[in-house]
Amino acid sequence: MEQVINELLETIMSNQLNVPVLQPILDSVSQLPMVGLIVSFILWKPVFALLICPGLSTVGILLLFFPWIERKLCARIQWRVGPREIVPWLGGLIQLIADTLRFLFQEVIVHRDAHRPYFLQFPFLSFLAALLPLLFLNAGNVMAIETPYAIQALLALVCLFPFFILGLGWASNSRFAFIGTVREAFMYFAYEVSFIIAVLAMIILFGTSNPMLMADKPWGIILNPIAAFTFFVGAAMATSRMPFEIPEADQEVAAGPHVEYSGIAFGLIYVMCYEKAYILAGLMTVLFLGGGSGPVIIAGLGELNGVMWFLIKTVIVLTTLFVLRTIYPRYRLDQGLNIGWGVMISLSLIALALSIVLVQGGVI
Amino acid sequence: MKKVTVQDQSTLEKAKCHAAAIGVAMKESIYPLTATVQYPRQRKKMPDNFRGYILFDPEKCINCWECAFICPANAIRMKEAPNKKYYPTVDYGKCIFCHFCIDSCSGGALRTTKIHDVAYKDMDDMVTLTEEMIEPPEIIREDKTLVEYQIDKKDLQIKKTREVDYLFVDEVPPSVEIPMVSQCIDGASCIGCHVCEQVCESGAISSAIANGVMRMKIDTDTCTGCGLCVKECSMQILKLVRK
Repeated sequence: MEQVINELLETIMSNQLNVPVLQPILDSVSQLPMVGLIVSFILWKPVFALLICPGLSTVGILLLFFPWIERKLCARIQWRVGPREIVPWLGGLIQLIADTLRFLFQEVIVHRDAHRPYFLQFPFLSFLAALLPLLFLNAGNVMAIETPYAIQALLALVCLFPFFILGLGWASNSRFAFIGTVREAFMYFAYEVSFIIAVLAMIILFGTSNPMLMADKPWGIILNPIAAFTFFVGAAMATSRMPFEIPEADQEVAAGPHVEYSGIAFGLIYVMCYEKAYILAGLMTVLFLGGGSGPVIIAGLGELNGVMWFLIKTVIVLTTLFVLRTIYPRYRLDQGLNIGWGVMISLSLIALALSIVLVQGGVI
Repeated sequence: MKKVTVQDQSTLEKAKCHAAAIGVAMKESIYPLTATVQYPRQRKKMPDNFRGYILFDPEKCINCWECAFICPANAIRMKEAPNKKYYPTVDYGKCIFCHFCIDSCSGGALRTTKIHDVAYKDMDDMVTLTEEMIEPPEIIREDKTLVEYQIDKKDLQIKKTREVDYLFVDEVPPSVEIPMVSQCIDGASCIGCHVCEQVCESGAISSAIANGVMRMKIDTDTCTGCGLCVKECSMQILKLVRK
């Protein structure tokens, strides 16, 4: 028993996050009996990745404040003001906290025609599914599960989202939800193939699918801009943001699969879209923007440099993704399918060919 | 049948359009032109002849009823005051803010303000009595900024100044007044009912018996051209003409 504990402690202590600035504080804290153990457990890289970044805390903070950033920025572009009335001197910064409170205290109405167990389960299950890909996302040197097949595993888990959205629509048992669900299914098949081929192009280009090793290579967006473009458009389609907001089209099918939901169940579905966008932006950062590598390295932060640069790049990608909604109107379903099966597939195949040429030509 | 077709554009032209759209978005995110007027805190500047809440000055009213006659929404009713004169009351539940009453007021007793935000508790409150129209309604001013839209030929410019707008119009915008005078066009049809004489505010109409026939006489100097006698004449033989 004692041997097992000792081995476990050794594993934890051997894989600590190295932050020179915090070292004096950590040394003094580690003298304390229980606190020291908890702190070193949190600073154990896999746990740090799960709990702090890119895991739970980052997701939570982003979900609380990113919709505010998006709404403010879109409002600026559209000559409006955006959320303001809650704490005006901060520009309505805690709007999302107020929204969350409202969602929490609102009744979750289950209508008569709904399939009750699935109707209540799917929002929570889908939230879970949206969290799972974080296991394979790395921020600099920090990663929950280190495996040479991380990108593939992440992609497989990302492809799990639409099933839960289909489930939501099916359990709702309403005509708008059905139409939205069918649209979601159509769009899912339209973007998924080209999206996967674009990622495949990058894996071939880098010769590895371990995201830790990709950070040392030159930026993917410079090597293969076509794949980057395809990935970006695919991400916009996958998160059903504005130019491809076909399943949730407010003016036509109310909110698509989410039409029957209210209260905290709707709140979970609402933030799930942001979570999905965060994961895809993170993947874009890892694949195309050099992951945790950055032009400025602050010596004191040690391994937190990678985390910092990962977050900065991810937020930039996210912002670009969300600002699209102020620039473009929504495509029709047939136009969306045409783009997915026509332009996107051609572009992804060109990207794949480009990657093979680059690898064969010995550029990388 | 006419068929609407998509404009044929080359890929380069399409890319140019996309770049232009993204450029506009980037420009606006850095230097936005916020068009929202945050109403209780900011107020939009209204022109001087804005058609708002109506104020009334009984000193200038000549009791001609013209406002009640002309009101297309039938919102103005004349109520008898203690001094036996009839003054207008406005029902804001019916008023369409056309301000025909103000335009037609010959004494200049009715005037406009820039107040457009009056609230009432119920429908009965909306009937504004004469004594309520003399003083402007009580307003809680929260606004600190004045927003002015300046529409250029090219673009919309929005000017924001830190000042509180003055909501009343002291000087009525000068209008070209056409002096009118009442005139009898068909003296032979007069039945001599004396209504015009009784109704005249300025005492310009007098009656005289000549050759055993009653004849009304209108003094062109004292006649104000209010048109009250024209309205009341039972034979409809009086007419307003230019002086």
